[in-house]
Order: sequence, then C-alpha cells, then structure tokens
Amino acid sequence: MALSLTYYLKEFFRLEWLQKFLFVRTVPLVTPPYFRNFPELTGKTCTHHLFCMMACPAPGAIDVIRTPEGWQPRIHLGHCIRCGLCVEACPNGVLTSGRILETMFYDNTALSFSFRIDVDTDRCMGCGNCAVACPVNKLIDAQMSFGGRASTDDLLLKVSEGKCQVLHVEKCTGCKTCEHHCPNEAISVARLLEAVHAPEEEL
Amino acid sequence: MSLLQRVKNFVRSKSIHVAYVDVGSCNGCDIEVLACLSPRYDIEQYGIYVHNNPREADILLVIGAFTPGWEEKLRSVWEKIPDPKAAIAIGNCPISGCVFNRPHSLIDPPVAKHIPISAQVPGCPPRPTEILSAVLAVAPVVFKDYEVKKR
Repeated sequence: MALSLTYYLKEFFRLEWLQKFLFVRTVPLVTPPYFRNFPELTGKTCTHHLFCMMACPAPGAIDVIRTPEGWQPRIHLGHCIRCGLCVEACPNGVLTSGRILETMFYDNTALSFSFRIDVDTDRCMGCGNCAVACPVNKLIDAQMSFGGRASTDDLLLKVSEGKCQVLHVEKCTGCKTCEHHCPNEAISVARLLEAVHAPEEEL
Repeated sequence: MSLLQRVKNFVRSKSIHVAYVDVGSCNGCDIEVLACLSPRYDIEQYGIYVHNNPREADILLVIGAFTPGWEEKLRSVWEKIPDPKAAIAIGNCPISGCVFNRPHSLIDPPVAKHIPISAQVPGCPPRPTEILSAVLAVAPVVFKDYEVKKR
C-alpha cells in the first residue's frame, strides 16, 4: 500500500511530467480543409449569369464585378454566412468552398434556376416599357420601336393587341429589368430555385 | 523599456479576462463563444478567463446586431471596463447586420458606431477557433506597452 502510494507520488516529481504539466499547451485547432469556408475562386471563367447573387440569402454578401480578366464574383466578409448556395448555384463552378463541388459531382445534383413571368392583364396598359427595357429583347431585335411592337416572334416579351405578351419564357435570365421599368406593377418575375438530381444535360 | 513595463506586458498577454455582451443576436454566436470554454477548445489553457463582469474584463466580445434596447446601455458597459481594454465584434451581425439588415428592421449596425471595435471576426457564426485566435491575436497588440502609449 505504502509502496504503491510512493510510486504514485513519485510520478508527479518526474521532470518530464512537471514540464508537460506546466508548459505544454495545445495550439488552437486548425480548420480542416473540408469545412465549408468563405467561397474562393477556382479560376474558371464567369459567364455573368448572376445565379450566385440570386441564390444568396444574405444581403450584400456577393457581387459580380468587372475586372480586366473578365467578370469575377467577390465575397464580402462580414456579410457572407458560408451557406455555400452560390457555389451550388453557379453553372460553371467558378466558386469553391469545402467539399461542395465534389459532393455535387458524385451525387450528380445541381441547383437549377427557372424563371416565370406573370403579367397582370388588368393592370397592363400595353405601354411596352418592359419589352423595350428587356436586355434579352435588345439582343434579338435591336430595332424594337417605342411601344414594344415588333415584327418578329422570337422575342421574350412583345406588346400585341394592347397587352404585353410573354412569348419565349425560356429565354428569360431573371434580371427583373422589366419589373423595375413597369409603371403599373403589372409584370412580375418569379425566380424558381430547385434542387435537381441528375441534371438533364448529363443524362 | 523599464523592467516593470516588461513584466506588465508579459502578465497581460498571459491573463486575458473576457466579458461578452449580446446586443441582440440569434444565439448562434453565443453558443460558439461558450463552445470555446468546452474541453475541446479550452480557452483557459491560454490564460483567457470568462467572468462576464465588465469591471474586471480586458476584452469585451460584442455579439449580435444592435437592437434599440442597447442604445445607452452598451456605451455604459464599455465605460465600466478598466483600461487597457479592447472590444471584438463576433460574427457578421455587429459588422453588417447580416441577414437581419433588411428594410424596416429596427437594428442599428455596425456596432463600431457605438463603441470602438478593435477586431472583427466574420462568419455566421464564426468557429470557436476563429474567435480564439482573434482574442489571442488582439490582446498582445492592444495591451502591449499600454503605459508608454498613454504618455
């Protein structure tokens, strides 16, 4: 009994033990690389779809700005909540954070955006501001006249019979320019974000 | 530099007393600050002690977007802390208001408008390691040669 107690107490007077007890401290834990951190650029080319900004739930967390190398998303620290939605929503994989891109690749999942345009026919007065302001229309028919009337039917929006008509909703990019230019709040764009498994282009 | 000053620098870097104040957060950052106390992160091994009493604190951790109820109170909490002192904003809320910073919300970020903030830890919430390394990085810089700087 006395012997074992001596052995026990002797342990505390070993120099090595004393040194450890008094001086050793663990370094602050490092964040493992697979943790979701603030998104970083992968170096792939940004095509300015702005899906990252549309998916972002925190105000002012992400911007896509023009640099000499082209468009580039910028994350603002102090606003970003590290949810990783911008990484998932990007169609080109411009951003990366943790294992999100790998997981998306192995699970074959993606976030897909689709847009729906609703025109309230009771409010629409056929002024054509939406059709003239629409940047997609401008690419298809640069000559579109005041009033939103045009001869071609390839357009996204067009005024015919005194009302705004949505012709090709699949061409919409979700910029909501029409919504901002409508004087009567008649047109509204819904951005539908859905998680899809096995995106169609890969099937 | 006098020997006394050197001793003070050493002691101040080895014993940092922390108080935290929640000025209207969602409790996420509070939990991360409390996680620093857990055995996994164990802030006491670095000489950081949480008393939550401004009278004996060196560092004030400010958590949360600034709600109107704290209008006069945060300033008085800050003035109760004896010099030398520093305030660290923990999380996105005291920096920008984060997701609460919407039109018609009552919050008033950033907290830097109300008290001087010497460091900011972004994240929603920041990880305990990030909070810990911020406290460890700020304390020696702010408290070093305090008496010399005052003169």
